[in-house]
Amino acid sequence: MTSAELALRNVRKSARDYAVYFMTLTFGICIFYVFNSLGSQQAVMDLSSAQSMTMRMLNSVVGSFSLFISVVLCFLIIYANGFLIKRRKKEFGVYLTLGMERERVSRILIWETVFMSLASLVAGLLLGIALAQGMAFVTASLLGVKISGFHFIFSAAAIGKTIIYFGLAFVLTLFFNVRQINKQQLIDLIYAGRQNEISRAPRPVAAVLFFLLSVLLLGVTYVMAAARLFDSALLLNFMLAVGAAGTFLFFFSLSGFLLAAVQRSKPYLRGLNMFVLRQLSSKINTTFVSMTIVCLMLFVSICALSSGLGMARGIAAELRGAPYDATLILRAETEGGDERSTFAPGALDSALTESRDLTAFAAASRSAVFYDVSDAGVVFEGPGGVKPVLYLLGLTDYNAALAMQGAAPLVLGPDEYGVNFGSGGAGWDRALTKYCAGGGSLTLGGRDLRTRGSLLRRQALEVSTRRNPDLVLVAPDELLAGRQAKKEILLINYPGSSLEYERLCLAALSDLKTASADGVELSGLIETKIQVNDYIGNTTATIAYLAIYMGVVFLVASATVLAIGQLSEASDNIHRYRLLNKIGADERMLSRALFTQNLICFGAPLLLALAHSAVGIAVAGQITQRIAGIDISGTSVAAALVMTLIYGGYFLATYWSSRNMVARG
Amino acid sequence: MILQAENLEKHYGGKNNLTKALNGVTFSVAAGEFLGVMGASGSGKTTLLNCVSTIDSVTSGRILIGGRDVTAMSGKTLARFRRETLGFIFQDFNLLDTLTGFENIALALTILRRPANATKEQVRDVAAVLGITDVLPKFPYQMSGGQRQRVAAARAIVTKPALVLADEPTGALDSQAARALLESFQELVRTRGATILMVTHDAFSASYCHRILFIRDGRVFRELARGNESRKVFFDQIIEVVSLLGGDGHDLR
Repeated sequence: MTSAELALRNVRKSARDYAVYFMTLTFGICIFYVFNSLGSQQAVMDLSSAQSMTMRMLNSVVGSFSLFISVVLCFLIIYANGFLIKRRKKEFGVYLTLGMERERVSRILIWETVFMSLASLVAGLLLGIALAQGMAFVTASLLGVKISGFHFIFSAAAIGKTIIYFGLAFVLTLFFNVRQINKQQLIDLIYAGRQNEISRAPRPVAAVLFFLLSVLLLGVTYVMAAARLFDSALLLNFMLAVGAAGTFLFFFSLSGFLLAAVQRSKPYLRGLNMFVLRQLSSKINTTFVSMTIVCLMLFVSICALSSGLGMARGIAAELRGAPYDATLILRAETEGGDERSTFAPGALDSALTESRDLTAFAAASRSAVFYDVSDAGVVFEGPGGVKPVLYLLGLTDYNAALAMQGAAPLVLGPDEYGVNFGSGGAGWDRALTKYCAGGGSLTLGGRDLRTRGSLLRRQALEVSTRRNPDLVLVAPDELLAGRQAKKEILLINYPGSSLEYERLCLAALSDLKTASADGVELSGLIETKIQVNDYIGNTTATIAYLAIYMGVVFLVASATVLAIGQLSEASDNIHRYRLLNKIGADERMLSRALFTQNLICFGAPLLLALAHSAVGIAVAGQITQRIAGIDISGTSVAAALVMTLIYGGYFLATYWSSRNMVARG
Repeated sequence: MILQAENLEKHYGGKNNLTKALNGVTFSVAAGEFLGVMGASGSGKTTLLNCVSTIDSVTSGRILIGGRDVTAMSGKTLARFRRETLGFIFQDFNLLDTLTGFENIALALTILRRPANATKEQVRDVAAVLGITDVLPKFPYQMSGGQRQRVAAARAIVTKPALVLADEPTGALDSQAARALLESFQELVRTRGATILMVTHDAFSASYCHRILFIRDGRVFRELARGNESRKVFFDQIIEVVSLLGGDGHDLR
């Protein structure tokens, strides 16, 4: 019998052992393919140019993520493979005892791995192709486009990529496997099943030291993150490396630490506690690697979920950011994106009178001048010490703008000014409320003005895809004389059917890209509600979708790793549970022991991942809020809910099936 | 009397092929007695042990352990009774390989939810009697077979059960380890007042008992008490009965 035939028979014979490995592989390949075939899904959709740009952007994001994901999946393969080899060791030992050469045994092992890899590659790709069809519909509904007729989505590029990435991973596992068999003494192979894996677990004292070290490393990471000490790439990488090392050490020493901590205490000698702890620590070699991976995957998952959901929720708020059908903003050209220079007011009106046909919009359009207010001595800081861009707007212009939105006008008392703030999240809101309540005195044209809490308005004043943390002060018109303008805005509401006037409006204004006023170069920017909705509805929704998708994938992947580990553990341990039953432990005690064991295995990575992401989201939240004005901290609750459902479901399913296994055994 | 078995019957199969594994077995064990049960394979000695240990149920007859009728118990009561009243020693040790010797013994106590503060002392006491104090911190795979079986014995006895049931405890041991184990059984009976019912096919092991029941075809075939005889004489008597058992009596397996 050739080695290949023997190998094939082995695979068939140990199908049960291989099932876990096969499932993990198939699952990983399937996800990898679906992820990478996202780009080819656009082929079947009728996309606008903005939408296909979104898809292109998505593709490049997916491209850079797929490397990261393939590393994770590679770990998954090696991890599942480890289980397999452990179970097969004894068999290989018997081959060697019977006089088979190590080369022949290695050859059998290589063939086995090749068969399994090919089978799971084919199965995974088939499953992935099937899943991609469904994903196309989900993506399409999110993008709000139709799929005309049935198209079979098939991405040759994604298949090629999957084969290359997993081919490499398989070669790597092959190398590991052969080395493991070649390296080991015959006696270790034969007695593999009987030995504890205790050898690599740190001694109790070392475990405590390692544990303290891991806490220290994690502390350093958290402090660095909270203090935002990661401006340079070097520091960022350092922080991530320290965090990863801390996580790794944490799980490496966790069971040893628990053992050392409770071994001398009473609870240790209660019920099956000592059995549970010993079970955990005896499996240290396999569990600490998987727990570290699971913890990091969960971390990514939580962050992706909460920011994805945050974006999805932000969409609703964004849509309120389009108060008119269109706006044309005219402002000074910038150099390097810094402070814009000021110009003489009226530039917009003079630019518009130059032979532009805006008669269609005459009744429903109005221009507003936003003045420079840098000399008024406004003392205000947003969250994190950020100074907003300040504008001054006349009361008449402001109330006219409000009227166009259908909002009630602002009424100012003598020596009072109003504050308007578009959007920017809860932090800004709190800061402004405090500022207004404090009076916020300033001097304008020689007069001292104050404000009140009730004069703070939250009204978007321009159509923009960007949430706008600009601060607009509203003052009586007489105080504006002689001021320089900072920007001028033409507010347009369409008098009738949107699409037709959109075309008219764009035709009339699209060439107003540049203008000049007293030698200052001005640039015009027109944005319409339809454009904004398009952009937000597509880009943001798609990114949110991607983030949620990734979050769920990582969540499911990590839960799968744990479930596989626990189930295979339970099947390995059936004889131990039966023994416990023989010496008097009843079913309730056994169930509780299984529950505790599963709880620790599922709970420990989750808890650490939650700690990681609490810090991560707090920091990321500050950053995204500053940059994009998106508040993601609130959605962490929703993310936690999704997590609980999926992860908790996996936990319960694993617990129940392992209990069934033990009860049946 | 710790154990009273009255007219035990155990039938297998249906009307056409009825097998009577136990066919009217009656015997009793006094407190502090070390009783051996011998018999060829198929004689019904394992069935007898299973019935006494409440793992299997009898077709008819009564088994009283400590005055309570176990044949009338069911479900949870039975599990609890087994846990609190009986101790088990198996042929293949059945130690948990992930636990140290100490923990294996202590486990029997923690399962019974005995107070934790007395656990250490109780384990050390019984370990001292069995001569395994040195191996308490070791894992089973670091012990010899004899040490493992004595740890298993310690686990069975540490809860002070009314009756210890040992199923071929020397079956997997060499003669020296077997002798050491049997001597510790005697020691347990002498110092702790343990009551042991041991099933064995080995005449040498049996010679350590106070009294021996010979089972054949589901009945008590002979009974032999050691009295004040030396172990050597008792051993010869056993060999005599074994040869009388006939059939594959010389090789009782």
